[in-house]
Amino acid sequence: MSNINGKAYAMNAITPMKPWKTWILRALLFIFAQAVKTSDLKKLSFIHFARWVIVPHRKFPRVSGEQPKENLQYDYLIFFSNFNGTWNQYIDAFSAVLSTGLDAIWWWSEKFPGAVPVTPFKDYIALVQFETDYYYDAYPHATTNDVKAAHRVKAALDELAAPSPNMSADEFAKSYLQFLTRVQGDLGATGEPPVGT
Amino acid sequence: MANQSGGVYGLTILSPIKDDPNSEVSPNLALRIYLAKLPRHRNSPFAKVSSTHFARLVVMDDVVYVGMPACEEHLQSKYLVFESNFDGDLDTYLERMAAEIPETVDAVWKHCVGFPGVADVAAFKAYMKKCQIETTFFFADVNDKTVQQTLRALQTQSAVTAFIVKHQGASPSELQAAFAHFMEKLNKAPLPAPAATLGKEFVDELA
Amino acid sequence: MSKLDPTDIQGFVLRGYTFPVARYLLLQIVPAGGREFIGKLIDQITTGERWDQGKPRTTVNVAFTFRGLKKLDLPEPSLQSFPCEFVQGMKARGAILCDTGLNSPDHWEPVWRDESVDAWLGVYAESLPELDRQCADLEKLMAGTNGAVVIGSQDAGVLVIEGKITTKEHFGFTDGFGNPDYVGVVRDTQPGQGKLMSNGSWAPLATGELMLGYADEAGELPVAPIPHLLANNSTFMVYRKMHQNVATFRKYLNEKGKLYSGGKEKLASKFIGRFRDGTPIEVSPDKCDPAVVANKQLNVNFKYGSDLDGVRCPIGAHVRRTNPRDAFGFDGKLVNRRRITRRGLPYGPHTPEDQPVSDADEHGLIFMVMNASIFRQFEFVQQQWIEYGNDARQGNDKDMLMGNHGGVGKFMIQGTADPANPPFVCGGLQNFVELRGGDYFWVPSITALRMIADNSVDPR
Repeated sequence: MSNINGKAYAMNAITPMKPWKTWILRALLFIFAQAVKTSDLKKLSFIHFARWVIVPHRKFPRVSGEQPKENLQYDYLIFFSNFNGTWNQYIDAFSAVLSTGLDAIWWWSEKFPGAVPVTPFKDYIALVQFETDYYYDAYPHATTNDVKAAHRVKAALDELAAPSPNMSADEFAKSYLQFLTRVQGDLGATGEPPVGT
Repeated sequence: MANQSGGVYGLTILSPIKDDPNSEVSPNLALRIYLAKLPRHRNSPFAKVSSTHFARLVVMDDVVYVGMPACEEHLQSKYLVFESNFDGDLDTYLERMAAEIPETVDAVWKHCVGFPGVADVAAFKAYMKKCQIETTFFFADVNDKTVQQTLRALQTQSAVTAFIVKHQGASPSELQAAFAHFMEKLNKAPLPAPAATLGKEFVDELA
Repeated sequence: MSKLDPTDIQGFVLRGYTFPVARYLLLQIVPAGGREFIGKLIDQITTGERWDQGKPRTTVNVAFTFRGLKKLDLPEPSLQSFPCEFVQGMKARGAILCDTGLNSPDHWEPVWRDESVDAWLGVYAESLPELDRQCADLEKLMAGTNGAVVIGSQDAGVLVIEGKITTKEHFGFTDGFGNPDYVGVVRDTQPGQGKLMSNGSWAPLATGELMLGYADEAGELPVAPIPHLLANNSTFMVYRKMHQNVATFRKYLNEKGKLYSGGKEKLASKFIGRFRDGTPIEVSPDKCDPAVVANKQLNVNFKYGSDLDGVRCPIGAHVRRTNPRDAFGFDGKLVNRRRITRRGLPYGPHTPEDQPVSDADEHGLIFMVMNASIFRQFEFVQQQWIEYGNDARQGNDKDMLMGNHGGVGKFMIQGTADPANPPFVCGGLQNFVELRGGDYFWVPSITALRMIADNSVDPR
């Protein structure tokens, strides 16, 4: 059992919400999905994939009559993240630069202390986080930064390669130099992650 | 559509786990033990369902009690959470699971209430969809590249870096010849397998 | 915020002393007389008070490992409340710090490898004879109180080159720029030392980034031992003895310098982010500029916002890795809790560039870092920004000069089509620097020293 696979960390967190607050959250998430907040998420560039899932109190899956009915008063917000970096680093960063967005999403959860300051926030996450039993990552040696850099390099290489057979050596050398300056920030090695802390 | 972002689908499934007071090892514990032993990395069953970017299986024992003044409440059943991020549509993915990793699917979901098995694909798909929870907000940093495109790009990035280091300072004609040779080998190189070990098997020889 | 009381804070925390020679005495505490020794030592400890009567000829400061604190009878609840990385000590944190391979404890000096150091006495002096006298006095005190024994000693000192005192280190780089400003710490402020504000100006960092008992950049008090009185005005010190392979470095620089069309000195500048004379290349990428080096308004005053592709200062250059400033966006907020104060000094005699040199020669740097949280500051920078590169979008690439390369790895220098500033890869990186030992220390306030000496630490 581990939350970690290569450079990715699988976080699961579940928080209770009074059902009347769920509608506010749905509206906010709808707005975020369209707009501004995801651009901050992309700029931070820590997350491969993440999702927020609202499970209303009557909507836990019931597949047969024999299965006992759930009897809950809270709705639940379940958060799944596939992120890069250590647990502490990830939460530090979010608390430092995305606290407004985090507050907007989790304010409706019972006893959420706010994303700032960071220590009570970390204590709350530790309380509501639950462990991953099995984690699969198709490219464990790559962070989302590495992935994006790799796509840029591939695109640049394709553009270099296509006309290259028809060039003179000097023309190619010039084209290659241009290619170099295009990809030179995207050549970080991939491989093992630093140890989790 | 909230489960989808670009070409990537975010699947969330909560399957209630059987409760069997007469068993020596409860189903959720047995499931945990099975998951702990399930192969990871390139031998993972999800490497076979090769449209999977990231996936996880989690035995969720209960909801959380955050402390007063919140009320204490409990789930009547434990749930198996399956969270997957994959290319393409849901039907195709479920069909691939049934076709390519039926033993794993059976071995995992047999612990769950009402699981019809994987032999009847239609029944399997219906069961999974019944357990599906709609994703309210799905974020994908890269949502327009498949797993295969990503693996190919990462391989290319490593190979290109090695080429650049090796041929630094070459004359134009040396460079062009080396590059032609490099591209020929790169284009013929097999696509790396998903979840292969951490980067070491890539490409020093290609440069 | 509360006014700082510099007479309660050890001077070494607030200021880098400018003395030419130093000796770090590594002590084992004798429990029988340990507290008496501390009690008598207090009057000799250099505090942060200003030297209005003139600079003293020597200074003395003290710090303790967790092992040392245990021998001084601190109550158990206080001991258990220290941050866990300090309790573990630096050797146990090796996996996080990448102190593996050539940097692993197998290669450390025995005194560090065996984790025997209980206390550190930092002694600085204007001359060697005065240094010797001060150390002899301290040893007399230790013997007289039966409070401590010297088990190791490390000399360090500025490099004297052609008869002149310099702030250079053994690879030839001018060191000592860019220590952060903190609220309440009186010093020569220079623009660029602090944190970046959204209007582009620089402001001092929260005091709690340096010392316990004060608000930090996250808007809370840093993790601190109990009681408050014990923790206030203290800090944590990381001590690392960094051996420098000067022969390997010079050979590497000469070889690559011939291949790099900008020339050897420009290549060297790309490793660090400054020319060897100290000119910051973000300001002056093509040549040294002594006027900039001498100008306090300019020599640490720069940002990377208009150089995100790294063609002036490489994305992986040392100063850029260790203080990204605005390079990560978000008004620099991801950087403010990762700043550290450095107090290093070289050790070993200077070998001129034209003289033969061997990696086995005694050349290195005693690297000392002051920070309120070893975990959040030093360990983070070491693990994530020196030995790894993801935050800078450089994947697994390590810091060119400091990284634990093990013979593999590369450093990418971004460039342009201009032949004087080409893209250039430095591959096959060696370990230019090797770790020979060190540990984590706590630098208590004067009040805390008295409490310890009097055995009056009361956790609740």
